[in-house]
Amino acid sequence: MDFPFLADTFLRLCGGIPLTLLLALISCAIGAALALCLAAMRLSKIGPLAALAHAYVFVYRGTPLLVQIFLVYYGFGQFPLVRHSFLWPILREPFWCAIIALSMNTGAYASEIIRGGILSVPHGQIEAARACGMSRLTQFRRIVMPLAIRQALPAYGTEIILMVKATSLASIITLMEITGVAAEIISETYRVIEVFVIAGALYLAINFILTRIVQIIEHWLTPYERGRPALPLAASVDAGEIA
Amino acid sequence: MSEAVISIRDLHKNFGGVEVLNGIFLDADEGEVVSILGASGSGKSTMLRCINMLETPSAGEVRVSGEAIALRRGRDGSFRPADRRQVERIRSRVAMVFQNFNLWSHRTVLENVIEAPVHVQGRKRAECVEEALDLLAKVGIAEKRDHYPAHLSGGQQQRAAIARALAMHPDVMLFDEPTSALDPELVGEVLRVMQGLAAEGRTMLVVTHEMGFARNVSDRVVFLHRGVIDTEGKPEDVFGAAGSERFRKFIAG
Repeated sequence: MDFPFLADTFLRLCGGIPLTLLLALISCAIGAALALCLAAMRLSKIGPLAALAHAYVFVYRGTPLLVQIFLVYYGFGQFPLVRHSFLWPILREPFWCAIIALSMNTGAYASEIIRGGILSVPHGQIEAARACGMSRLTQFRRIVMPLAIRQALPAYGTEIILMVKATSLASIITLMEITGVAAEIISETYRVIEVFVIAGALYLAINFILTRIVQIIEHWLTPYERGRPALPLAASVDAGEIA
Repeated sequence: MSEAVISIRDLHKNFGGVEVLNGIFLDADEGEVVSILGASGSGKSTMLRCINMLETPSAGEVRVSGEAIALRRGRDGSFRPADRRQVERIRSRVAMVFQNFNLWSHRTVLENVIEAPVHVQGRKRAECVEEALDLLAKVGIAEKRDHYPAHLSGGQQQRAAIARALAMHPDVMLFDEPTSALDPELVGEVLRVMQGLAAEGRTMLVVTHEMGFARNVSDRVVFLHRGVIDTEGKPEDVFGAAGSERFRKFIAG
């Protein structure tokens, strides 16, 4: 074992962590906002909006992320209109191209997760909110969204992990996040296995921490799931969840 | 003469061409307890849900404390509330208790009770909490204030739901089969609370299958059959010789 090489590689790969986290963080944040809009469009009773959101989700879930990154990175520059627009300073940066592609991709997946969460809110609890005179906004803010988030959180945790791993594709468009740094070290040393094992371990560590955080949030948000009576099924029937 | 708290005129409701309500006329005066009986499918729950617009009538008029709920025809020809604000305001004065309790599962009992007073009526939280504790004591579950609904028995959940309804200081309370989802041994505790409310002089419309409650607690019994009122009157008359043939068949099972 060449420990000095491993230690040196480890330290250099750690230098890629901030960019990996930044890519994941920003695109998850933008993606979440996008997802909320898409879910609202899909659930709205306005036909064209729902169809638009449906088409968006269909296209973004049905095509590879790598293709989407290439299209954003190489595609926009093909149009003189884009090259001369005020957006060009952003669109010519690989960092922002990666953010755009990742955000739009996670937006599509997360919108389905959020939509599922909203649809899972028991109808009776919404009816109780309507019956006591809540406005639609209050219903959404106080009853529907809190319950939908709790329902969607486990699936959303998975989506965040997928996003952290998806950032590795940004190395293809020259970004030096963990995988980008790894590729660089390999091109210098040809020591594929050691470098990628360490890179993989770093992703594993990041995702381990993230899953813990999501678990803690879930635990904290659902005190009513804990210490249930001996018969959980009977309890949920009583709560009207099944009826 | 004072105006009826609830006044229903020629109420019709159809679901996809099926006439569920066929012209209901009903008044409930202040302090009156009206039991609404009928076989399943007779339209009694639908009628109750038309009062607070959980179902929109196909035709007819509903007045709450003298205020008619404004309806207009939508583009597809169906009725809908003309003014959502008005409906929300009226709902905040008409409390409803559901068959399946429908407590908000992510909030404790106390939080369930203060939710609407704070977030619909805009009252001060501290004041609402104080009042909520009194209400919970009144329905006998003060010690469950910090429990979540899933940790309560059905009877306790329904009593919490009644406390939640009372917290709005409603003009009238609608009960939609409040004991039908309960185990038989839990029915009594809920009926006792409702009997207490009736004794206080609250205006209550109760859709129920509890003949004992209808006969002994209510001031008036209304029997629905195929979307119209078949018989109505004082319990002793309706249950006695003056009752219709059809009603006698209904209670005989």
